[in-house]
Amino acid sequence: MDLVVQIMFGVTGLLILGAAFMVVSVRNIIHAALWLIACFFGIAMLYLLLQAEFLAVVQVLLYIGAVAVLVLFAVMLTRQIDDPEEPVLFQRWRSTLLIAAILFSAVLVPTIYNHNWLIFTDPQPAFAGPRELGFAFMNAYLLPFQIAAVLLLAALVGAIIIAMEDQEQRRTRVLTLAEEIALRREQEPSPPTRLANPHPASSMSSNPTPPPTPEQAGEGT
Amino acid sequence: MYDVVDFLLNTQLGLNSPDWVVMLISHLIVVGMLFVVAPLQVLFLTYYERRAIARMQDRVGPNRVGYEGLLQPIADGVKMFTKEDIVPESADKRVHLLAPIVTAAPVMYMFAVLPWGPNMIAVDLPTGLLFFFAISSISTVGLLMAGWASNNKFALLGAMRAVAQVVSYEIPALLSLLFAVMFAGSMSLMAIVEAQGGLFISTTDVPSVPDLGLGWFVFTPVGFLAFVCFFIAALAEGERTPFDIPEADSEIVAGYMTEYSGMKFALFYLAQYILNFLLCAITATIFFGGWQGPGVAWLVNQSLSADNPAGNPVYNVLAGMLGTFYLLAKTYTFFFVMVALRGAFPRLRIDQLMNFGWKFLIPLTMINILSAALWLAITRWGTAQGFSIIEFAGEPGNLVRWVIAFAVTLVINVAAYWFLARLNVQDHVARQAALAAGWLAVSPPRSA
Amino acid sequence: MSNDTLTHSITFTETPATLTVVVDPTPQITRGRAVVVERRRPKAAGWSLLQGLGVVVDHWRKSFRKLEDPTQIAGTFTTEYPEERLPLPEAYRNMPILLFDDATGHELCTSCFQCQRICPPQVIHMTQAKDPETGKPVPAVSEFIIEYDACMSCGFCAEVCPFDAIKMDHNYELSTADHSSLTVHKAGLLRPVSYYQSIAPTFWAEAEASAYKKLEANKKRRPASIGIAPQMIEQVKAAHKLGDGQPEAASPPAPVATAPAPDAGSAATPASNAALATSEGDLPTDKAARLAAIRARNEAKKAAEQSASPAASAAPTASDGDLPTDKAARLAAIRARNEAKKAAAQAATDPAQPAAEGAATALATPDAPLTDAPPAPATPDAPLDEKAARLAAIRARNAAKKAAQAEEE
Repeated sequence: MDLVVQIMFGVTGLLILGAAFMVVSVRNIIHAALWLIACFFGIAMLYLLLQAEFLAVVQVLLYIGAVAVLVLFAVMLTRQIDDPEEPVLFQRWRSTLLIAAILFSAVLVPTIYNHNWLIFTDPQPAFAGPRELGFAFMNAYLLPFQIAAVLLLAALVGAIIIAMEDQEQRRTRVLTLAEEIALRREQEPSPPTRLANPHPASSMSSNPTPPPTPEQAGEGT
Repeated sequence: MYDVVDFLLNTQLGLNSPDWVVMLISHLIVVGMLFVVAPLQVLFLTYYERRAIARMQDRVGPNRVGYEGLLQPIADGVKMFTKEDIVPESADKRVHLLAPIVTAAPVMYMFAVLPWGPNMIAVDLPTGLLFFFAISSISTVGLLMAGWASNNKFALLGAMRAVAQVVSYEIPALLSLLFAVMFAGSMSLMAIVEAQGGLFISTTDVPSVPDLGLGWFVFTPVGFLAFVCFFIAALAEGERTPFDIPEADSEIVAGYMTEYSGMKFALFYLAQYILNFLLCAITATIFFGGWQGPGVAWLVNQSLSADNPAGNPVYNVLAGMLGTFYLLAKTYTFFFVMVALRGAFPRLRIDQLMNFGWKFLIPLTMINILSAALWLAITRWGTAQGFSIIEFAGEPGNLVRWVIAFAVTLVINVAAYWFLARLNVQDHVARQAALAAGWLAVSPPRSA
Repeated sequence: MSNDTLTHSITFTETPATLTVVVDPTPQITRGRAVVVERRRPKAAGWSLLQGLGVVVDHWRKSFRKLEDPTQIAGTFTTEYPEERLPLPEAYRNMPILLFDDATGHELCTSCFQCQRICPPQVIHMTQAKDPETGKPVPAVSEFIIEYDACMSCGFCAEVCPFDAIKMDHNYELSTADHSSLTVHKAGLLRPVSYYQSIAPTFWAEAEASAYKKLEANKKRRPASIGIAPQMIEQVKAAHKLGDGQPEAASPPAPVATAPAPDAGSAATPASNAALATSEGDLPTDKAARLAAIRARNEAKKAAEQSASPAASAAPTASDGDLPTDKAARLAAIRARNEAKKAAAQAATDPAQPAAEGAATALATPDAPLTDAPPAPATPDAPLDEKAARLAAIRARNAAKKAAQAEEE
């Protein structure tokens, strides 16, 4: 491959691996989320190196603009502000890590070594362009597309139902006078009545009380 | 720019610089120009906004510093530079420092895909439009960082509200721009602009229309509705009134910017104004033809290019200047509209804002996509796509198809707008009427 | 989405006792007065938004016109300070000023102390002017100080002044870096009446008549140049010089001096004060009378010189301590002047001869303290003159006795 591309790939790889390492080793969880964003950036750079720029842009838009923001929201909303940093690792973590690493590499290394990697020496730019993806969504991958859409819809509806307040408890604020009049009108369509004179002591009452001095009111009009 | 640099270095000066050197130099020059243009725009826009909004409020605006106050932004800049940079003691220092950077840097990226004139674009990405909005969505992370790092509950709340607002209005913004991608057949902003030649009728639809650069998308019902939706969504993206809850003084102090002072605050301010400038520029580009206008196409025809080697390079420069002038004129007009909206309307509450975005704008933009698809079908499909009944060939046929498409999409868009407006109304009496008519099936709120 | 509140139309009937509103049909609300306004439905959703926008853009368009007439609505009202200033109402008050008459230069202030008494923060301080010869207070002010930094511009001083001498100024541009300059003395406080008339014409028009009447009365009681504004003193002196053609009395006769009148800008030499005393306002216009007055003055000088040599405390510098010894001489000079005045009054009706005689007899009187002999009354006003001469003789004898005692001690 071109020398520049190789150098860029090396840099990108270092960025991704370094960021991923920092994600799991940093104490402050917000910092971990931010390192995750750096990791996503690295992946977008990888897509660019593969000349799949639509995917790179979508990666930035969705992963950084949406998923990372969601992660940050979740962390910020559920985390105590005092940020207690209790150590989450237990005592014999080093030996456990070693065993897990050995087992994992026992699976991974032979796979990587024996697999037939399809390396394109001449990357094809039209492989993952929007036109091709659109065609794929509408032709070959229509069913997965629709299922994913239904899944998202289910998630949306579920979120709304979980977060929805009880209708009866909603209206707890004071209504403006006009709103109260409108409410009254729809509740009790009463015969034409008169507004009473300013009666200092009375407040909004649900029973329409007769005017305090009906004869005075009668005289007045 | 590459050609110009190549011409200068290789032809004039005789240096045989390799390709990458020419590219590097040309890109550096372009980037340098953009980095100069952006803060200058911001300076001018702050001054312009203050003068315009003052005039709307029957006063004069800053006119003391320099002639008619033109040096006022310099004074503001000096003030911001010299203010002490205060960092709260218990704040997260590194995140506090990074937040304004993460908010301001992506908006500078957005200049890369903006077309300034014919063949005048920094990088003509095939996915330019998506790049534009993807990069702007990185700023939301910066907002969250700012709110968190201030170690201030109210800053955090303000940041969350700001991010909720920005994220919820990204959706109608992008959805309303999809029609342009469909009309132009590409996500490249240059292609979208070039598809808007003509005279109220785009030349892509009816090729025989004289190319006066006025075949803007906004003159179609699809484009007009999309313009309205996009402009409102852009107001919310840029946190302008009536969607300026995150930054208004009477709301939660200054929201996520509360604990920032001096240069960091200036960066937030700068980022906001650059974003608003760019959103106005994008509106101009996608809906109003960008650099297209009367005369540009004619100048381009006379200019030196690959398919016109006999052209005069002077016309290149003239075409570029005229194109840039048109783009900036349109951009400043839209900025004036933004300022007028700021002067005219009160702020929306956060719940009103969310309701408006999710319940009104998103369904409206989706119906607009349907209209766009119908437009395309009527104006471009034929027997090959299975539409033999409207197979009109030739020129009058194209015009007839355009007229039919115009009528159909007009009806659909108007009906959608009216219906959604009725659906979202919050008037008690109208609600009763809607219930009675059977459109609504939700019980009205009752007092406790 | 619209948040209109729609109600029905109403009719109002207002009576003296009650306000009842007939709303049809409305539920009864028992609190306060309710005004229900019918608002028409906008034709389309968002139309009212565009209307509002139109109003704002209209304002923008019209704001390029500068408004001069307050009855106009659209336009810019901005007064571009400091190039333009808002016209202030007459009753605007900021910091008091003292007034002096343009024509004669006389200050209207008589040092009655009313403003000093009533000033709430007590920032007014004044000293009453005294007659330089007799030491009696005159209705004029010798020093007047207002501490502008503490003055609260309440205007009580202007309200209470019986002579319309202190008024409230309109000047608000008083910022300074020199704090001590905010303690303003009389010279800084004085303004011509024409200035006050220009800033408060109706107020001055109401007060003018009585102020001038009182000023005339006070002018009579002010000797010489006391009570003349320092701004005008040179002018007034020059005017009077030209007016009577009299040479300014240059030589300072030592004892006939005077009292230390600390007029800020007036001539410092006591002699010229004395000379002025005889050459100012009381100046007789008749030439013969003037001549007599001059002769009287010269005699007085000679007498003073003669009395100065034997007297131990010769006071060429004319300080306060010289008062006792000079008092008699001054009194004599005063008498002489009064004689000259009366002679002038008579000269209008009588021939010049008796006036000269009167002056001649007046000349004889300064010799009285030395000779200790009552002067011969030769004027038509015989009894009065005799009495005055006897009084003068008695006083002179007492003065001589005191001088002798002083010498002994």
